[in-house]
Amino acid sequence: MKLFNLPDLGEGLPDAEIVRWLVKEGDKVALDQPMVEMETAKAVVEVPSPYDGTITKLCGQPGDVIDVGAILVEFDGDGSSAAAPVATQPTSEQKTAPQAPAGVTVASGDVFKLPDLGEGLPDAEIVRWLVKEGDTLALDQPMVEMETAKAVVEVPSPFAAKVAKLYGQPGDVIEVGAPLVSFGEGGASVAVAEPETMPVEEKSGDAGTVVGAVQVGNQVVAESASAVIKALAKKLKVDLNQVTGTGANGAITQADVKQAKKDGKLVGTATVSAAAPAPVEAPVGDENPLDFKASPAVRAHARRLGVALSGCRASGKKGSITKADVDAAVGSSAPVARPASAPASGGGLPTVQVSVEPQSVRGVRRAMAMGMAKSHATVVPTTLMEDADITSWPKQDSLARYVRALVYAAKIEPALNCWFDGEKFERLVHPGVHVGIAVDSPDGLYVPVVHDADKKDAIAVRARVQELRQKIESKSLKQEDQQGATVTLSNFGSIAGRYGTPVVSPPQVAILGTGRFRDELRLTDKGISKRKMLPLSLTFDHRACTGGEAARFLAAVIEDLQKAM
Amino acid sequence: MAAITLIEAVNLAMAHEMGVDKDVVLLGEDVGANGGVFRATDGLQEKFGKERVIDTPLAESMIAGVSIGMAAQGLKPVAEIQFMGFIFPAVDQIICHAARMRHRTRGRLHLPMVIRAPFGGGIHAPEHHSESTEAIFAHIPGLKVVIPSNPSRAYGLMLAAIRDPDPVIFLEPKRVYRIEKHEIEDNGEEYPLGVCFVDREGTDITLISWGAMLHETKQAAEKLAQAGISAEVIDVATVSPLDIDTILESVEKTGRACIVQEAPKAGALGSEIAAEIAEKGVMNLLAPIGRVSGYDTVMPYYRLEKQYMPKVEHIVEEAKRIVEYR
Repeated sequence: MKLFNLPDLGEGLPDAEIVRWLVKEGDKVALDQPMVEMETAKAVVEVPSPYDGTITKLCGQPGDVIDVGAILVEFDGDGSSAAAPVATQPTSEQKTAPQAPAGVTVASGDVFKLPDLGEGLPDAEIVRWLVKEGDTLALDQPMVEMETAKAVVEVPSPFAAKVAKLYGQPGDVIEVGAPLVSFGEGGASVAVAEPETMPVEEKSGDAGTVVGAVQVGNQVVAESASAVIKALAKKLKVDLNQVTGTGANGAITQADVKQAKKDGKLVGTATVSAAAPAPVEAPVGDENPLDFKASPAVRAHARRLGVALSGCRASGKKGSITKADVDAAVGSSAPVARPASAPASGGGLPTVQVSVEPQSVRGVRRAMAMGMAKSHATVVPTTLMEDADITSWPKQDSLARYVRALVYAAKIEPALNCWFDGEKFERLVHPGVHVGIAVDSPDGLYVPVVHDADKKDAIAVRARVQELRQKIESKSLKQEDQQGATVTLSNFGSIAGRYGTPVVSPPQVAILGTGRFRDELRLTDKGISKRKMLPLSLTFDHRACTGGEAARFLAAVIEDLQKAM
Repeated sequence: MAAITLIEAVNLAMAHEMGVDKDVVLLGEDVGANGGVFRATDGLQEKFGKERVIDTPLAESMIAGVSIGMAAQGLKPVAEIQFMGFIFPAVDQIICHAARMRHRTRGRLHLPMVIRAPFGGGIHAPEHHSESTEAIFAHIPGLKVVIPSNPSRAYGLMLAAIRDPDPVIFLEPKRVYRIEKHEIEDNGEEYPLGVCFVDREGTDITLISWGAMLHETKQAAEKLAQAGISAEVIDVATVSPLDIDTILESVEKTGRACIVQEAPKAGALGSEIAAEIAEKGVMNLLAPIGRVSGYDTVMPYYRLEKQYMPKVEHIVEEAKRIVEYR
């Protein structure tokens, strides 16, 4: 048996009326032979046969309106098919499986359409057929496993009947409402009960000569009486708190509201004010943003500054908080750290909001940021790393030794004690050595300078470093204290860190990083011995110096550092 | 008390008023013998006669013009425009005469008339039948524009529209003509025009809608509730003049607003509501106002109609975005 469903006859019209059958049941028809004249809202159209075959059933009489996609003609199954019937898309007006009374005999050609398998999912995939065409099924016998987006479901047979046709192969996706199985003759049957969640859709006999299809539902819904009463009270400006209901269970009726209007029970006339609405219970420490009137921009401003709106005056119109109010509240109110609050959407991890506001970067820290960025943008840095053996050192101030080593290396290899101008391609090899010393402070990075380090002895170097530290502490460091360095020392090892990649500060071309020294077992001429090792990292600007110059410089540093005194 | 659909409620209200007020007459294409394409006037000609239920030629301008004449002379015509898409030939009569007659005659004439039209998409009708052009009439001073969202409101608001002394454009969301039923007592009790109905109370966001979209909006509110978001749902009902006070009061409470409309987005009623909220309620806003709309395009043929229509998920998504806005 083959089914021919009414195809779209043009212009997307949803249905058409049968004007006249050109064939009758039992006729043999040829492919493309006109079968029926159909009238759409636009034109009368002849519908040709899609098959060579014998017509077993004509569905409808002249004057009947057939929905596009509904069955129009049934053919004998032996007809050799030519063109495939136009694909039918289930339309909302198509009848879903009708609720037939129990015991109805299945007519040949009953088509079982895929019901909603739950949750309103639009389609399901055939996993496996459990029956085959020609099988005789019992009522409720599982026919097929279907996979929805949610689960694999067995679909039971709605009839005790013989399977005429299975629609689709495993892997095919079937839309809800599309044919799944058609049945041949069978015994007593019971229609499958529709899932209750499925809206009952049927073509009302009284829908009129309508273009299109109006969805029909039989669900009886209650009107929201309170919404109507409140709306009426709003219109009549009646204070519902003063109205006594006379309806069922004391409900206020429209008549009550109208009477209250006559009695002058208007908003704002209550002698005893109605109980103030209970304050919305807010988590302790959180403020309800709706308690404050403020424009979104002002709210954002307050959030940026970490100011709680509760700490602001409301000097604006109608008690709103202005930007000036927020600014005035800065400092006077403690910034509010908002507690973690669960999002209203529920589920998942709660979002956490804290009032960490960005601080503007000023002064020394800003200078560091700009200096580093400039270095990164211009310098071609290369870092060499090596250890110096300082086992022979007496207890002494290592900083003075580092300075001395730099002075020594600058004498051996002046190319690193130098300024370089990458734009003009000039370099200035300094005769003197002025060592910048990186000093970490809460304000940021200072690099005060030990000028003329090559002319100072250890005591003088130490005195100068001490002086600079005090100046940093008392914030009395002068501009000239920070200018003129020809090479820089970063003693990060006084805190932690073995090697590093110190950043050259242009126009200088080199910086020596001294790491944290450590005891190490070393293989020496005298066998294995414990040595105190000082890790060194020398970064140089490869635009200004060669690798050889840098390596020689580092070697000289090590040579000096490895001296006992 | 029978449970009836929205379209039956329209019929019931007209029948009620015709029964109590002999000045009420119906006219339109196929409203008489046929009972109306959607059966809005089914049985009324039989009941009230051909003099009070008048089949007209296919001439919308004439339908509106005759209604104006009747109303000016004391009748209370309820005219049907078969589909909103056919209302445009009548626009000259509606805008240039009906809307301004009271003003033009300094109050000597007023027009107690109703123009009914089924509107909106979702029933697989040709595209021209499916548009939501309520904003065109909402923009015109002198017209009231009323859109019921359920059977009870269709009954109550239709009665109010007929009894109103001035022209009312009564737009019926045909997609929900038969989607649900209400038990309605035919007691002649009208609903107030010019006020919103708060259909669901909530604290996190105000969803504002009207007509057929109320159904999606209410479902969205239900889904949001499952996600822990408490949505207030407002049925605007009378889209002009707009009851902005109820909307502002709600937004003051929730701090957030999302407007749901079937019409295209640009220049629509949602734009006006959003502007009013922004003008008068900005101090209460915790997030930008959201809109869920149709697209700024001609209504597609019905194969793409579903793609055009705003869906429950769209509303849920937009509401969540607004609620989670920081």
